[in-house]
Amino acid sequence: MAKGWLRMAIVCLCASLLTGCWDRRELEERTSVLAIAIDMAEGQKDLYRLTVQIPIPIKIAGSSGQGGGGNADAVKIMSVTGRTILDANNNLQLRLNQKLFLGHTRVLAVSEEVAKKGISDIMDSFRREPQIRRLMWPIVVKGEAATLLKIKPQLAQIPVVFLMDLIENGVKMGAIPDQTLGDYFNQTSNKSMQPFLNYVQASATEVRWRGVAVFREHKMVGTLNDVQSWSLLQLRNEDRGGDVVIPLPNTDNGYVTFRPHFVKTRLELTEKSKGGNKNNEAFAAMFYCELQGDIVEVTANTKVSPEKFIQDMQRLIKKEMEERAKKLFYQLQKEDNSDILKLGLALRAHHYRDYWEKHDWHKDFKNFPIGVDYTIKVRRLGMEMQ
Amino acid sequence: MSSQQQTFSLWQQTSLITSTLIGVGVLTLPRTTSAILYEAGWMSPLFGSIVAFVSVWMIAKLSQHFPGMTFIEYSTIVWGAKKNSRMGKWLSLPWIILYLGFMYLSTAIVSRIFGEVVVTSVLLDTPLEVIIITMFLLAFILSLHDLEVVARINELLLPMILFPLLFIAFASFQKAEWNNLLPLFRASGSSLIKGAYEAIYSFSGYEIMLIFFAYAHENQSKVRAGFYGIAMGMFVYTLIVVAGIVVFGYEELQRVAWPTLELVKTTQVPGLILERLESAFLAVWVTAVFTTVANAYYAVVYGLRQLFNRGLGFQRLISAIMFIPLYYIALWPQNIVEMFRASSYLGIYSLILNLGIPALYLTMLFFRGVGRKQKERNADG
Repeated sequence: MAKGWLRMAIVCLCASLLTGCWDRRELEERTSVLAIAIDMAEGQKDLYRLTVQIPIPIKIAGSSGQGGGGNADAVKIMSVTGRTILDANNNLQLRLNQKLFLGHTRVLAVSEEVAKKGISDIMDSFRREPQIRRLMWPIVVKGEAATLLKIKPQLAQIPVVFLMDLIENGVKMGAIPDQTLGDYFNQTSNKSMQPFLNYVQASATEVRWRGVAVFREHKMVGTLNDVQSWSLLQLRNEDRGGDVVIPLPNTDNGYVTFRPHFVKTRLELTEKSKGGNKNNEAFAAMFYCELQGDIVEVTANTKVSPEKFIQDMQRLIKKEMEERAKKLFYQLQKEDNSDILKLGLALRAHHYRDYWEKHDWHKDFKNFPIGVDYTIKVRRLGMEMQ
Repeated sequence: MSSQQQTFSLWQQTSLITSTLIGVGVLTLPRTTSAILYEAGWMSPLFGSIVAFVSVWMIAKLSQHFPGMTFIEYSTIVWGAKKNSRMGKWLSLPWIILYLGFMYLSTAIVSRIFGEVVVTSVLLDTPLEVIIITMFLLAFILSLHDLEVVARINELLLPMILFPLLFIAFASFQKAEWNNLLPLFRASGSSLIKGAYEAIYSFSGYEIMLIFFAYAHENQSKVRAGFYGIAMGMFVYTLIVVAGIVVFGYEELQRVAWPTLELVKTTQVPGLILERLESAFLAVWVTAVFTTVANAYYAVVYGLRQLFNRGLGFQRLISAIMFIPLYYIALWPQNIVEMFRASSYLGIYSLILNLGIPALYLTMLFFRGVGRKQKERNADG
């Protein structure tokens, strides 16, 4: 009998001591940060201004209590300055009643100014902090980064949720690259490629995706507009990008819109030895990209037979896409000098001994011959017959 | 001889081996292997497993010479003359101490690494000591029981260790960049050996079979059990390293402290059922560490019990006492860099021990022909 009691006592003791609640912190004892924006502090050099967006649970519609008023702000915006990110974080903590929690942070907005200065020092604390998710989105904002947190989109209560949905939806449609913090880390560590981030512009009520910001070694060196970014997506990720709108030749003000549905890209690296000169074997890259899609809009009557129409259109779209790609290559090679096409990775993987070891890709990329060949397959014409 | 009646089936032996060798190593393996072999880091568990295969084969052979006897028991026969068993006891003592000492140290280091991971990634404010003590308590509870329980626990927990690891590896392939695996091989031949060596410590743990093989159900199943156990470990390790390399690339792998944990963090389950996998993964991973720590500790305690020829009561007592120095050993490394260095020293230790002791014993047997006689006697009786 005594043994039974002893066992009961031990079980009770274990149950109360081994529950793992040493550093328990309830949900309401935390201040969750949804988004962080980083700017340079005005007037002061070497100081960062950190802006955070904190949701106010009681004001969010659908939650219990008074219920959210439609026009009441569901988030609180706070700004602090500091010499480093953690310094600013600590300064922010001094103004908060609960402990800051970064586990729910989904967006890291960086102003263009900061990005051009280089963000390796910012990223360090994000690399070390275990709460930070590798799946969160770093975004470069045109102008001041804090404006991205201050928008009142009206369609969603919490601005960051609106922004997240915008990106998520774009990723699903294949028009916006899914460029997460983890991807950025991998690309900056990898010696054969350069990173890029999404680039947005924010106004008082709206946010607009503007393309991608091209980086070179943690420093932003240029931007690609939406059309160029879509070419990049097609060639790099086999995403379909956005609709292609082309003016119709031989009509006044007629346009045709092509919507790609399936993209298949193959990168071929070829070795051309130039006439007898063995020392100077030249490598070249060729992107073969096949687009399958529909014609979704034709604003002028072309007056040709359907067979000819499709062939004309395929030729037209092919020409347009190749021109766009060439512009993209020119921008990346001559202006930004940043390989975000994963070309270096492919070269290192497939031509390690005969190319990679002998060349310095950082210098070579600028003049590396890159070609592109689109194959357009128009499959359907929408609900119309022509 | 009640313990002699308990026997382990083939599957129980296999799961003992696999669940012991899969432990903390799996969290750092992608980094340590690709540090030397770059893109070809995944070859290192393959080559490292050769050493493990050889070693486990020798251990099994050794055990087949002496069915029903543990390393502690047959050491006396191997080293001693027939008439003078006292001499055998003394001569075998250094080897036994070497062996038990290794198991003891690796128990300490494994629980330390475990505590370190938990403290840096999930329970930030919990003292390291508490986590280590909790792990010790679990191992202590296991060491209160008899061998049968150990085998069953391992049998039960093995799927819980294997499936999450396999799931993480395969789920992470959706973010894979396969060009990261190429060029297939660019490092030198000597670095292949160095790389294989990096993986060897992750395979250590099967040396508990020096004791547990004694209770195999059939004498002939030992080699097979050893091979199955190592092969499973090799498969899981290779898969995890491949997943790490294709997702991160070898350069990024060098920068992250716990690559497999980061792998879990970047992996999204389609359909958003579980958005943050790492807490769930760590919870499951506790079982993997538990089987490593507890099995090794059980082997130490059981070995001591046999060394002093005592019963279960002594085992319980000694396991409680032995935890006190163990705790201090675990807290010996002052920081994470020292901890990783200690763990790599243990790797050398394990390599020498796992190849050296069985090889030495087999040579001794060969020259003295003791084993054969022993076998005949057993067959008669």
